Order: sequence, then C-alpha cells, then structure tokens
Amino acid sequence: MNEFISIFTRPVDSQVLQFIILLPILGGLLLLFIPEKFRTYKGLIAILISVITGYLTIVIYRSENQMLSQDQLFSGSLLLHGFGRFLTFNIDNLSKLIILFISLFALLILVYSIVYIKEGRVKNYYPYFLITLGCSYGAILSDNLLLFLFFWGILGLTLYKLIHGHDEESSATAKKTLILIGASDSIMIIGIAIIWKITGSLSMGGVKVPTTNIVSVVAFLALLTGSFTKAGAFPFHTWVPDYAKSAPASSSAYLPASLDKLLGIYFLARITTDMFVLNGFLTFLLLLTGVITIIIAVMMALIQHNYKRLLGFHAVSQVGYMILGLGLGSTIGVAAGLFHMVNHALYKSGLFLSAGSIEYRTGKEEIEDLGGLSKAMPITFFASLVFAMSISGVPPFNGFASKWMIYQGIIDFGSGTGIANKLWILWLGLAVLGSALTLASFIKLIGGIFLSRRKAEFENIKEVPVIMWLPLVILSVFCILFGVFATKVVSKLFMPITGPFKFTGFWDSSFVSLLVIISLILGIILYLALNIKKFRTEDSFIGGERIQDRTSYATTEFYKTIGEFKFFSWIYKKAEERWFDLYDLCKQFVLWLSHQLSEAHSGVLTGYIIWVCAGLIIMLLIMI
Amino acid sequence: MAVNLFYFLVFPGLLFAGVVGAFLSWFDRKISARVQFRKGPPLLQPFYDFFKLLLVKETILPKHGSPLVFLIAPIFAVFGATMAGVFILLPLFNITTGFRGDLLVIFYLLTIPSFSYIIGALASGNPLAAVGGSREMKLIISYELTFLLVIAGVIMKCGQKFDLDSIIQTQQAGSPFIGSISGVLLFIAGIFCIQAKLALVPFDMPEAEAEITEGIFIEYSGAAYAMIKLTKYIMFFILPAFLIALLMNGFKLEGIGILWAVLKVLAVVLALTLIKNTNPRIKIKQAISFFLIWMNLLVVIALVLIAFGY
Repeated sequence: MNEFISIFTRPVDSQVLQFIILLPILGGLLLLFIPEKFRTYKGLIAILISVITGYLTIVIYRSENQMLSQDQLFSGSLLLHGFGRFLTFNIDNLSKLIILFISLFALLILVYSIVYIKEGRVKNYYPYFLITLGCSYGAILSDNLLLFLFFWGILGLTLYKLIHGHDEESSATAKKTLILIGASDSIMIIGIAIIWKITGSLSMGGVKVPTTNIVSVVAFLALLTGSFTKAGAFPFHTWVPDYAKSAPASSSAYLPASLDKLLGIYFLARITTDMFVLNGFLTFLLLLTGVITIIIAVMMALIQHNYKRLLGFHAVSQVGYMILGLGLGSTIGVAAGLFHMVNHALYKSGLFLSAGSIEYRTGKEEIEDLGGLSKAMPITFFASLVFAMSISGVPPFNGFASKWMIYQGIIDFGSGTGIANKLWILWLGLAVLGSALTLASFIKLIGGIFLSRRKAEFENIKEVPVIMWLPLVILSVFCILFGVFATKVVSKLFMPITGPFKFTGFWDSSFVSLLVIISLILGIILYLALNIKKFRTEDSFIGGERIQDRTSYATTEFYKTIGEFKFFSWIYKKAEERWFDLYDLCKQFVLWLSHQLSEAHSGVLTGYIIWVCAGLIIMLLIMI
Repeated sequence: MAVNLFYFLVFPGLLFAGVVGAFLSWFDRKISARVQFRKGPPLLQPFYDFFKLLLVKETILPKHGSPLVFLIAPIFAVFGATMAGVFILLPLFNITTGFRGDLLVIFYLLTIPSFSYIIGALASGNPLAAVGGSREMKLIISYELTFLLVIAGVIMKCGQKFDLDSIIQTQQAGSPFIGSISGVLLFIAGIFCIQAKLALVPFDMPEAEAEITEGIFIEYSGAAYAMIKLTKYIMFFILPAFLIALLMNGFKLEGIGILWAVLKVLAVVLALTLIKNTNPRIKIKQAISFFLIWMNLLVVIALVLIAFGY
C-alpha cells in the first residue's frame, strides 16, 4: 500500500510509466473474468482506473521532458534477458499533451457508457475499453519502434472487439476493420525493418532519415500507411464509415473519433517532423492526399441518410485538414494540424455521443425517421449545435480557429518555390470548399434530426439522463473555450511542441466572442421590450393551404440536385457499388486469384504428386 | 475596449453600415423602378419599412419546430454581418487599430448571415422554408469556391499578404488591381458572387417570392423580420465595399476622394441592380453549374494570368 501511495508523491520515474500503462491493461484483463451481469460495477471500476491514470497523466504533464529506459527490468529473468533494452520511453511535450487528452476522452466516454451500454450491446465492453486505454498510453509514450508496434497492434484487436457483431453486416464490418488495420500494421513492420537496416537504430527520437533515395521513401510510405489507416485517411479510410454505422456510438466516439485520430496523427507528426526529412515530392503527396481526403469523404457524407455513417465520413474528411497542416511542415502548419486534431476529437466524439443519445431515446438510425427533437431534447440539441458549428468552422468556435491557422500556413507556404508551394491556391480552395460542404451536411443533420416538424411517435420523448448529457456539455464547453481563447490555447499547449511562431493573420476571438454575447443580450432585450410573451403562435403558412400531417420537405433530399449532375451521379453510383473501396478491390483480387489457383485442384492424385515433387525441387534449388 | 465597442455598434459598424445600406437599398429600388418606368419609393422608404416591422407589426411564432432558435437566428445574422462590416470598413476608412480581421476571417464571417437564415428557416418547420433553406445552402456551396478564388487571386497579386490594410496600401501605392486583365476577370466573378450572396435575381431562388413565397423568410414577421431586413441592408453596403477594397483601390477620404468613394459604391451597386433587372431567375441546378464550371474557369484563367504577371 505504501508503494502505491508513494507513486503519487515521487517525481516521475519509470515506475509511474509502468503503472500508467499496466494498470488499465491488467485491470481490463481482470475485468474479463467478471460476469456480464455486474456490468455497472465493471463500469465503475473502469471509471476509477481511468481517474487514477488521468491523475497520473497530469503528473507526467507537469514533469520534465526525459527519455526513460528500463534496461535492468528483465535482467534477472533467463527467458527475457536483454528484452529490457527495447523498453525505452520518451516523455516530451508532444506525448505529454496527447496522453492528457486521451485521459480526458476516456473518462468522459466511460461516464457516458455507464447508462448507454445496455445488456447485449457489446460483450466485455469495459475490459476492452481499459486495454485500449493502457495500450494507447503505451503507444504514445514508447520511444522504441518495436514496443510502439506492440501496443499499436493490440489497439487494432481491441478496435475489433468493441464492435458488436450481432448481424451479418456488423460482423463483416468488424472483419473489414481488423483486416485493414492488421494489413497496415504488417506494412509498418516493413518500414521499421528498413529504418533499422539504414540507421541501425529503433529509437523514434534518435533517427533522422533523409528521404533522398528510394529505400527511405519506401520506409516513409510504409509508416505513413500505418498512420493513415489508423487515422482514417484516403485511401485507407473505408473502415471508418462502416465502423461508425455498426458499432455502438460510444465505441465510435472512443476510437475512430478521438483516440485513433490522436494516435494516427501523433504518429504522423512523429514521422514527418522527427524521424524523416521530407523531400518536395513527399510534401506534395501529403498535401494532395489531404485535400482528396477532405473532398471525397465530405461528398460522400452529403448523400448519407444514416446519421452515424454520415458522422463516420466526417471523421475521415477532417483528417484531411490535419494532414494538410502537418504536410506543410512549417511551425504554424504543424501546430495547426495538432490543434485541429484535438479540436476534431472534441467535437467529433461529442457528435457521436449525441448520436448515441438520440439512438438511445428513439431507436432510429435514419435521419428521415427523425425530426423536431429540439424541444424534447434541448440539452442534446444545443450541444450538437455547438459541435456542428465547430466542425463547420463557424467563428468563433474552435474548428474555425484551427482551420484559420491551417489556411494561414497554406498562404505562407505559397511564398516558397517548389511545385507544391506554387499550387497553394489549390490546397486552399479545396480546403475551404470542404468546409462549406461540411456546413451543408451538418445543416442536413441538425435540420433533419432536431429542427423541422416533430413526428407524432416522438411526442413522449424525454431528455437523456444527466450522466449521458453531462459529458456532452463538458465537451461543448471545451469546444467553445478552445475557440474563444484560441490564441492562448495555442501558445500554451502547442507552441511548446513546435517552437514559437507568429500568426500572420488577425483574429481577436475573445473580443469577438464578447461581441456575440453582447449582440445576443441586445437582441433578447429587444424581444423582451416587445413583449415576447404575447407573441402569437401560428401554424405554418404554405400558400394558404391547410397543412397535412405528412406535408414536409425531407432534409435528407436537400442535396439530391447535386447528385443529378451526370458526373456526380456516376461517381456516387460507383461509390455505392464500392468501386473505390480499397478493401473491396483487394478482396476481389484475392477471390480472383484463389479462383485461378483452384484450377490446379483437379482431384487427380497423380497431378497432386507432380505438384508436390515440383515444389520440392524448387525449394531444394533455392536452398542450395 | 470601449472604443472597439463603438466601432462595432456605431461607426463603422451596426448603425453606420445599417443607415448607408438602407440608403443604398433605396437607390437600388429607385433604379429598378426607373428601369421598369415606375416612379419609385421616397428616400426614407427603407427606414419606414424597418421601423414598421420593428415597432408596429406583431411577431408570429411557428407552432412546429423550435421557436427559440427561430428567434435567435436573426440576431446571429445581424452579428455576422456587422462584424464582417467592421473588419471591412475599418481599413477602408483608414482607421488603424489592433482590433481587426484578415481576409479569411471576413470570408467566414460573411457566411454567417446565410447560415443563420438557413437554421432559422429550418427551425420554423415550414416545408417551403425548408425548400428555400436547401437552395440557399446549395447556392453557398456553388459560389463559395469562386469567391475564395477571387480573394486568393488578390492575395497572390499582393505577394501573399492577406490583410485588407496591406491590400489597399499596395493598390494605393501602385495601381488598382482592376487595371489589369486578370483584375477585370476577378471583378466579374466577384460581382456575380456578391449577387448570389445577396440572393438577388438571377440567384434569388432561396427567396423566390413568386414560387415559394419568400422561402427561407416565409414564417418571419415583426421584430425578427426587421433584424433580417437590417442584415440585408448591412450586407448590401459591405459586400460592394469589400469588392472595392479588394480590387478598386479602396477609399481615399480627402478632398475629391470622398466623391470618388461614393461614386465607386454607387457604381458597384448600379451594376448589381442592372444585372438584377435584366435577368430572369434561374434554377438552382443552373446556378450550380454556372459557378462550378464557368465562373471557376474564369477565375482560374485570371489566376494563370496573375502567375504570368498580367
């Protein structure tokens, strides 16, 4: 017990690190053996553990930057002798910040889950949740690439376990997720092997590979694949929307919306700023992937009817902005990319949680089945409105602040001389277009679910319990504060990571926010002066016709016009047939290949014997 | 802070922009009347309209939807227009202060009124308002890229500077940007973007009074509608002013320069009014392809010309 208490009082050392990583993992493994009927107690234990680790992340955040290695850890053991040299950890400004936010999201989503995760939703939700938490800390804090890969790999597995495979579609989604993530992890192994070959080192902080030859470029691309698949960027994004649709909303809020973004973009930041020196071509490639990710995903989001899938596409599209920021490579660009990552995690997990609340109360998953919930669920509505305005970049919310920084980075970048620099207008234009399209699809979401006419079946809907709306309110307050005090937040949280820089634009968000409040107060005073209580309420006027119960213009049909253009209709049709889905393309190729190979299975014994002999001869030839 | 509040509420913000915008809207109505061989309204007609709505007419709330959002949306619209107006007009009147915004901030603030209209329209629960809202949103999607490219062209001409002060100073030290071929192309695209932003014919499909009876504003009345009117007045002044700052040398407020400044604003408003009066309303699909294909093509040509120094 004394040992336990002393951890909190001593300065940060290797024991705190072991504790913060192992406590959630071991706790999760223990919880696996507790029967499902004590679900709520398991949840409470999980919250307790996440509070403890959350406190420890604050302790780490306030400590000095250091590299910790644990050479001596396994020195006594015969089997694992020498394994200790792989256990190196890196506590720097970047990893400190990321684990802080991981703790925040884990805690908020756990609190939400206590009510939300009902019987039969996901088996062993809390154990896998905790294992994910521990492995995320591990992946962020580890400096050794193999150790990093170890934690990273387990995260793919827990992601798979946090979907509830209850029917064919969700099982297929779970499988798809596992295969895509697993395949990208194995590609990362190639990249790590190449790095070890070139530099002889496996330390993230210790290598600086110039991308001058083809081998190092391949290594970079291999690691990039891992980061892109985790974060969900084009062309490895296809698991995110499917996952968002099939998994419980709290799982989506936890992994694809917040933790996977933090991890994927963290790793992207590591490889682009620390481990490699990018050449012009790779910068161009990053920026191009960024804008393609933004536009493709948001165009798909426009036509979605299922609100969780719509949010899934936005979880992809926003990654594009982060890639743009990091791809620029300048201090303001990197800071903007990281700021956007945090902002995205804030509003996107909030949006997924609100989606969960709506599903919890109504049981509907399609936008057209819903409508007019703003009166019934006012807190969820206002929180979602804040999240929607943040993600669409309405000033003065946080999404605007980080996008504005990215745009500044792009304009600065334009004064360079490379090909990518000359195309700055392309990056800027598509990024801004993406933001307008995001606004469009969130108008559809907010309009379709909360505004418009209320359906008769939702007359008795009530607001969700306080445990469910509290995390939403906290997240939305964060969204507002990060927007209002954007410059302060950036200089406090992100400048230590990237080094100081000056904003080239002008935006006094705190004072402007004050003006918003003043305007609202003046407006409300005006309404009050005009006797708001006596305002008459009337039914809608549609050209003098009597309004029918079913008279409506479904918000889901808002953007049908865009799909009517020949070019877009063709693209949408092919996209719905999954022509552009890397996973399905690979699946078709593998099926085709196995079909070809099945020709060889003739069922004739002599044929098989010839195959066996031929194979044996070839093997012998190679071995000699 | 007090002085910034003065900028926001009195000059050049809410009061000033609103009054000038109201006079400009009278100018627009008078010209339209003359084009149609009518006499036109008296000078103070916009003020009569505004105060009648604000003080005399009763406000009717929608039975369905969300009355709270319905009432707050116009306030937010006034705020967006005024804020953008302050950031545009301060550099134009050569008031240098720490309280300013760059082009990207102005660009985003200028979207707030449209966004608020749509949210307010959807909150009214009226199907015709929803039709209008969907059209407004599609219109935003189509002109937003063109409008940004126009701004980007100006940034390019100005050597990657993107605050309005430096853009006006660069022009006043050299020559106005509209004096080149690329500048003319940017101006043409800019005029059409403003036309769409103000929802004037041929891009008035979100309102389309003959078709969907004012669309997004169908349920608005009384004080709430007065605020929308005020937003429209402000936008009617600041958008032409923005174009003047971007391409036409800004204002030089001394001696004969004041007359020039007034004439520039009137000329841009005249161009908008004449386009409005000589064109029929087009369908939303036509508007999308007009901006997405033709206007963007025009701007891209201008950008290529700028890259080669024309």
